[in-house]
Amino acid sequence: MRKRLSDIYCVFQIHLARLRRETGPFLLAAIVFPVGMYLFASGIAQQNLAGSIPNEYKVHFLAASLVFSLSLTAISWLGYLLLENRFTGRLKLFATLPLAPSSYIFGVLIFALMQGAIGTVSMIIAARLLGVETHIDGFSGVLQLTLTVFIALLSLCGTSVIIAARVRSFSEGSLYTDALGAGIVLLAPVYYSSETLPFFIRWIGYVLPTTYIAGAVNKILAGNPFIGGELLVLSAMAAITLAGGFSLMNWREE
Amino acid sequence: MTGTHKNELAVSVRNLFKRYKNGTQATCGIDFEVRQGEAVAILGPNGAGKTSFLRQLTTELKPTSGSVNIFGVDAVKNPNKAKTRMGVTPQEAGVFETLTVCEHLELFGKFKGLDKTFARIQATEIIKNLELENETKQKVGELSGGQKRRILIGLALLGKPPLLILDEPTTGLDPISRRAVWRLLKRIIDGGTTVVLSTHYLEEAEFLSDRIAFIKSGKIIADGTLQELRAGFPNKYRVNYLNGGGQIGIPHTEFFSDFASAQDFIKTNEIDEYQLATSSLEDVYFSVVGERSEGGATDRNAVEQ
Repeated sequence: MRKRLSDIYCVFQIHLARLRRETGPFLLAAIVFPVGMYLFASGIAQQNLAGSIPNEYKVHFLAASLVFSLSLTAISWLGYLLLENRFTGRLKLFATLPLAPSSYIFGVLIFALMQGAIGTVSMIIAARLLGVETHIDGFSGVLQLTLTVFIALLSLCGTSVIIAARVRSFSEGSLYTDALGAGIVLLAPVYYSSETLPFFIRWIGYVLPTTYIAGAVNKILAGNPFIGGELLVLSAMAAITLAGGFSLMNWREE
Repeated sequence: MTGTHKNELAVSVRNLFKRYKNGTQATCGIDFEVRQGEAVAILGPNGAGKTSFLRQLTTELKPTSGSVNIFGVDAVKNPNKAKTRMGVTPQEAGVFETLTVCEHLELFGKFKGLDKTFARIQATEIIKNLELENETKQKVGELSGGQKRRILIGLALLGKPPLLILDEPTTGLDPISRRAVWRLLKRIIDGGTTVVLSTHYLEEAEFLSDRIAFIKSGKIIADGTLQELRAGFPNKYRVNYLNGGGQIGIPHTEFFSDFASAQDFIKTNEIDEYQLATSSLEDVYFSVVGERSEGGATDRNAVEQ
């Protein structure tokens, strides 16, 4: 058990060194682009409303941008790292060690959780600076947000692990991670309501985790504590994608 | 490593078959043994199955059938247990470029079960042995290709495993770095560590190994000490000469089973510029794998027969 924990921590440290070296791109994905999306959505709303937008809208756009941040971090950025590990032979190096594949995945997940935490806190601070009034319900609200971000990241990271394990080439994988990182936010009712979508596209939203992450985060930021349904669906999605990722991640080539 | 028992098996491979999903037969019933403390070089042309064979030893590749035992551990059934007994340098592995040389070795030392202090001590020792002291604090990504290759060898040495499996360890290294690695590996072999390495450098095989195995089309087609292999090669002497009749000479090689025949050939053909030597490992290699060396080497005796 001690060895397992040490292995997980070492995998985390290796990826942390990467983050330290490449802070710029991470900040772009986790904060700059999502803040940009917040401003974009707010700007459109302001034009349509022909005046200042209500705080309720601002909170909605903040929740959506938080989801965008988590998605870019967990799928585009983390997926890229996992692909790089696989296709530059680094995974091969791990495979030669007495290291369980699950230790590698857990190390990567902890790294993703840390990134998600940095992104979420930064986004909330940025929102305050932009004049958004959130109504996080004290300590329990913070706890709910932490739990939501945790489960959300697990469901998104599971997708990254599956992509990194299944694709046949680096370019194929990075196309998937780039497209999905932004795509699963734009195809789901995250910035807008599902009613605005054509009926035949709405069903896509039902199977995307971003729909439920946005729903839960929106409720928490608005001070509504009833997020059990969203968390249940997200937990199921996380369990399925991670189980898939674990089963596909095997050091041994058949 | 001290206290090795030369007669005990470090590696035992039985009837090893590997057929890839695309139908390629990589290994075809290999039987292979390495005794503790022995250094064995695997030679063979590209695509012969060297890497597939070594990857089955390191547990990276699951055999289709057959057994691999590493110090008595069934490596097919218990890969993680087998891996605790070996250090591996894969042929195409990447390093983590954002770590410093020291960090890289220390972290991988921990993966091998060393505590923080021992990981640091061993990292320092390996850095010194690999002649990378000036690069200790440098990011691995800033190093040359040869230096990165040396790091990969260093990673295999962490934890002082009793078995090293090195897949073309010095490919891409300049001659000076290569010799530095050879010296280090020689010291490790002399210390009793069992080594299985694949290489394209015949000089490397000659310098480092006690035994050489030739692999071709997924089978071991010859296996023995250099002396044994040479003894099995009928042509003990080679004559390299220039043949041009006063113009720019074209290099030729002829083989002879005895010294007198070689001398006779030189005399009869009035060759002025020649080199007469005992056959090399390269000659044995070409003889065994069935390919002809550049320069038009011919087997004189075979021709005469």
